[in-house]
Amino acid sequence: MSSGPDELEARIGELRAAVRRAMAAGDRAAARRLRAGLREAERAWDEAVLGADEPSHGPSHGPSHGRVRPPARDQAHRALTLLGVPAAPKLVASVHAAFFPAEPAASLANLRRDEERSFRSAPHARPYYLCAALTADLLAPARGLLTISTWSLERRVVGRLSARADFLAAAINVAGHVRRDTPDVQRLLWRFAANIPDASGGAIGTVDPVALAGAARAELAVHRDADRRERAAAAARAAAGLGEAERLFGSRLRSLRAASGESHRPRPTDGEDR
Amino acid sequence: MTETAPDLDRLRGGAPPRNHDARTIAALTANPGCARRGVMDAAGVDKDAVARQLGFPAPYGQSQFAITRGNVFEQQVKADGCAELLTLLRDRLGLTVPEARYDDLEEVAGSESREMRHARTRRLLARALETGEGTLFDHPLLRLEIGGRAVYLEPDVIAFQLAGRFHVVEIKSFAVIDGQAEPEQVAAAARQSAVYVLALRRLVAELGHDPARVAHEVFLVCPENFTNRPTATPVDVRPQLAVVERQLARLTRVDEIVAALPADLTFAPGAALPESVRAVQARYAPECMASCEMAFFCRDEARACGATGALGRSVRDDLGGVDSIAMALALAEGTLEPAAELAETAAQLRTATRLRREALGGLH
Repeated sequence: MSSGPDELEARIGELRAAVRRAMAAGDRAAARRLRAGLREAERAWDEAVLGADEPSHGPSHGPSHGRVRPPARDQAHRALTLLGVPAAPKLVASVHAAFFPAEPAASLANLRRDEERSFRSAPHARPYYLCAALTADLLAPARGLLTISTWSLERRVVGRLSARADFLAAAINVAGHVRRDTPDVQRLLWRFAANIPDASGGAIGTVDPVALAGAARAELAVHRDADRRERAAAAARAAAGLGEAERLFGSRLRSLRAASGESHRPRPTDGEDR
Repeated sequence: MTETAPDLDRLRGGAPPRNHDARTIAALTANPGCARRGVMDAAGVDKDAVARQLGFPAPYGQSQFAITRGNVFEQQVKADGCAELLTLLRDRLGLTVPEARYDDLEEVAGSESREMRHARTRRLLARALETGEGTLFDHPLLRLEIGGRAVYLEPDVIAFQLAGRFHVVEIKSFAVIDGQAEPEQVAAAARQSAVYVLALRRLVAELGHDPARVAHEVFLVCPENFTNRPTATPVDVRPQLAVVERQLARLTRVDEIVAALPADLTFAPGAALPESVRAVQARYAPECMASCEMAFFCRDEARACGATGALGRSVRDDLGGVDSIAMALALAEGTLEPAAELAETAAQLRTATRLRREALGGLH
């Protein structure tokens, strides 16, 4: 990596042409190899011309030099661990951008579906899976939420107050992790502070993490008990009535086509109504 | 379902029925006198397809940008369990801190079947009425009888306050600047929300509670000034409610219209489509262009037979019982003897003709 920028540029040009030729010839394996080499060269060029990267924020890993960008599931895992509660992909991406900015974000689209397929084909082959949150009443996959399979069932079911309680808990966790004050971090904090009463202490236009955490705790105290009770009850039902995959990915209503007009109910879970 | 239903199925010609949406509701309230639109909407005919088949496609719908911007704004307002909406309603409605429940009715355990969603909506709203539990209901599915047919309607959010009242909340992407929004857009949103309020009131009555527990005040959530920050504006929809109720009552006469049509009439695609469509009378006005896909066809027809409606609603109203332009001109020229009830209109037309001749001097 001590080549000057000129040699690197020449090499990058050669590698690009080689990749194109390989693709045109249909040799995908060679193209992939050359592409990896090209990426390496480009990264080295970045270092040589732009200087070393900024040191990373937050807990854990620096940018992965010399390796391919970590896959979406790892990024989501890291961000979700920080959040500590079930969260929507957009929030997960924002948290990742704010606290691990040195890594380019991978797309979280279809993540849940891919994880479910991977689990069903080889259960427990991986140390963790990104899975669904379960709704408390029907134990179905909650729309638009991601969780980690290593979390307890109580954490992964969502009742009617959980959306709000989890929002507040996420605010507390995010505020607790702030080390540096960048625009991305401020934007993330503001997303919480704008919607929690009495949360934005400090100067106009900035959010004080301590004030945010305090305000969030104050409101969370109002909802926490009711929320916990509902979640505990739902978790007990899930543990008793659902199989392994369904505990992770939720139990769906399998309805036949509208033409036949029938639909099956899921395995009866007692205490579902009222 | 009344006996009209199989007739409506025949009219539709076997295609699956189309749902009512904001635009058909707007058309319903804007032009209740049009038998053609009334029958087609009641049968759930795809008016866009029919218009295209007739050779008058409507270059229609919102732009893709507007739709995307609307979706993005709605997602933002509803993110994190409707956090932003909750903030707005705490400010406007005075929701207390413990009132923060969120129920998602967009799907039921992965199924988007309308019957299931409606059943679940009923169940959750009943529970809210009885035990006071529940605050925000996301994309509930309501049902309303329109013209003898059950129609599904989907408001954005229904908010329930412990003081006991339901409020319909509609999220719109047009901006409120300095407290004002474009009156036409607000009016359209108010009409649409009035239909939701009506449907919700009927549901509450069916569940055995007082329909007045549904407030006549709806909230429009729009971007504020030139930002993306949402602001909630209360809108009193009592006037629109009265209008919609009246029009819906008159609409039940769809069965009468259908009964008067030939027994084998159908809007299925085919060579007979133009005659079938012409067999049902329309009532074209330029306002139709904004709300009905058949507008171009009806306009062409109106112009061809010289209907006065094509000149605009106010002109048609002024001309009273004079239905065709040819007749109006004849009355104005004095070549046609008016019937008793048209005497006044004819006099006005002759006066207008005289004034016009005078104004144009020797020109004509």
